[in-house]
Amino acid sequence: MRHVAILLSLLVVGSGLVLGAKTLTIIMEEVPDTDVIRELIPEFEAQNPDLKIVIDAMPYEAMRDKILTEFLAPVSSYDIVIVDNPWTDEFAAGGFLVDLTDRVMALEGYDFEDFAKPIRDIGVYKGRIFGLPFYNYALAMIVRQDVFDEAGIPIPTNIADYVKACRQLTNKEEGFYGAAMQAKRGYKIFEEGKNYMYALGADVFDEEGNIVINSHLAKAALHLYIANLEAAAPKGAVNWGFDEAFRLMAAGKAATMITYNWMLPSLNNPEKTGELAGKFSFYEVPGGKAVLGAWYWSIPHNAADIEASWRFISWVTSKAVEKERVILGGAPVRMSVLTDPEVWEKGYGKQYYLTLVKILEDAEPLVRGLHAEEVIETIGLEMNNAAAGIKTVDQALDDAAKAVAEILGG
Amino acid sequence: MVIPLLLMLLAVLVYPMGSSLWVSFENYRLTALHARHFVGLANYAKIPRDARFWNAMGNTLVFVSTAVFLEFVLGFALALLLHRRVRMRNFFRSVLLTPMFITPVAVGLIFRFMLNSEFGIIPYILKTIGIEVDFFATSPLALFSIVFIDVWQWTPFMMLLLLAGLESLPREPFEAARVDGASAWFTFRRVTFPLMRPVIVVAVIIRMLDAFKVFEYLYVITRGGPGNSTESIMYYIYRVGFRFFRMGEAAAMSYVLALIILLLVFLEFQLLRRARST
Repeated sequence: MRHVAILLSLLVVGSGLVLGAKTLTIIMEEVPDTDVIRELIPEFEAQNPDLKIVIDAMPYEAMRDKILTEFLAPVSSYDIVIVDNPWTDEFAAGGFLVDLTDRVMALEGYDFEDFAKPIRDIGVYKGRIFGLPFYNYALAMIVRQDVFDEAGIPIPTNIADYVKACRQLTNKEEGFYGAAMQAKRGYKIFEEGKNYMYALGADVFDEEGNIVINSHLAKAALHLYIANLEAAAPKGAVNWGFDEAFRLMAAGKAATMITYNWMLPSLNNPEKTGELAGKFSFYEVPGGKAVLGAWYWSIPHNAADIEASWRFISWVTSKAVEKERVILGGAPVRMSVLTDPEVWEKGYGKQYYLTLVKILEDAEPLVRGLHAEEVIETIGLEMNNAAAGIKTVDQALDDAAKAVAEILGG
Repeated sequence: MVIPLLLMLLAVLVYPMGSSLWVSFENYRLTALHARHFVGLANYAKIPRDARFWNAMGNTLVFVSTAVFLEFVLGFALALLLHRRVRMRNFFRSVLLTPMFITPVAVGLIFRFMLNSEFGIIPYILKTIGIEVDFFATSPLALFSIVFIDVWQWTPFMMLLLLAGLESLPREPFEAARVDGASAWFTFRRVTFPLMRPVIVVAVIIRMLDAFKVFEYLYVITRGGPGNSTESIMYYIYRVGFRFFRMGEAAAMSYVLALIILLLVFLEFQLLRRARST
């Protein structure tokens, strides 16, 4: 009887505590940057005892449908959503996100201009701010420095030299490859292959908005990409995504990988790569211009308490908290943090952040616009058709151009 | 007593079906609800010209026919073996049923790495005997690798249905055949198979309907690639509806798919009826 009484009183006290704090639920992706946010939450809750943060983390593929479903509900069960860059325009245009412009401008010392320009631009739709940068995933070239040094091959700075170096370093008989590639159809191949396009000056649209994905430069870039895939990557890479390419690199079976810049610390972590840790370096993608990816904090238009949600995202994206987040291992988005000597010292070193500054100076998302997701998937499908030998490069990119025109026309 | 059941059916079956049928006549894009409007048969009219729809349908028909045929042959063979009084029969039955208790997503992930040309155990073993295969890198093989995974997982289900059918057959025809000195093959061909025909049709239809829904293996292994070579109709409809949010078109495709499946089921029953009458 006494035990029941104790249990009941504990329940009463517990429920009182829970009732005392309002819960803010955030949908997030299951990635290292989310773990960093988890570490920061106690600090926010201590400063805001009336708010409790709950993170609902899930795989990338499950997020977009779930976020959209919540947008269509009378009240969103998520108080804050994180939004990937291809979705921002579509969600903002649909009226699903709260316009944060006035709040951002009214916040003293917030300094919106401090976010790296290519990153902050993605969160802006028709001149209004709908997303505040969370973390970047700009692409970089990660290399096995020891392999390059031993072979006496200089780090390539243009795409032709890169393909040549990959070929020189490949020894298929011994199971060693010049490039760990991810040519799976859709997002993956486009994300990797568009760096080759940037290197040759090609793009999906020209400055007037005309579709130029089938330009001779884009075709030359895809030829180069496929040549590298065939000569310097495992044959199965035509169906590989990030997981397989990362495993190949982490297993010491590849010399280079064009991937997210924040993979470098993971590869240099002895728990993940054992004796190989410390042998990986990263550089700008050959050619200089990189594909930019970034995630954004946004508030659903139907969030239960928009002011409470704003309190959290204005805190987590502030200069001071961004600095803490980056020191804990988060991928930076603010220039003040990237150039802060304290961050260099406590984080991954000066070289890492300064290379990242260079990458972010010239980086651009795959595609923007209301149909970005479909355009990306469509071009990625056609590139994979060419990589798998199902279509010629000319056919594939001509078909991609036609399909993109249909998508935008529809 | 019947009214609650009818209300339940109305809520979970009739309303969603009716609603999705209505959506199939609309330009309904989840991210542009303000532009939602009635378009008549326009979504259906697009389907005959949609090459990806028919490619996905073709892939699905190849997948369903190959997988269900192999599952039937292997399942029937296993059922016949386990129907006999062999030692440790219950143990073998339990072991053979294991694959169907694993969730298909997990099966997909397991085979994604087991069949991986660089890290997988199966390509490694094949390499030791001089065979180099890349299961998901080339066009027809990728689809048949998916078939192989489905056969591995769902043959036990076919076996279970057919075994239940074998155990419910009357004994007299078999005893008569034995008395008349019929061989095992003759007995199988002229007694077992004809008696099993209704069970076979039901088992094949159940598996066929399930195989049409193939999604998980593709989702975790190939995403429909290389190119469109493993894109199934369900995966394609999912992409149109839930990746690109064109719900009206996705609903129209779903109804066309439902009609094609109904037609196939009807044909199977017709075949059964014709076989019975002859």
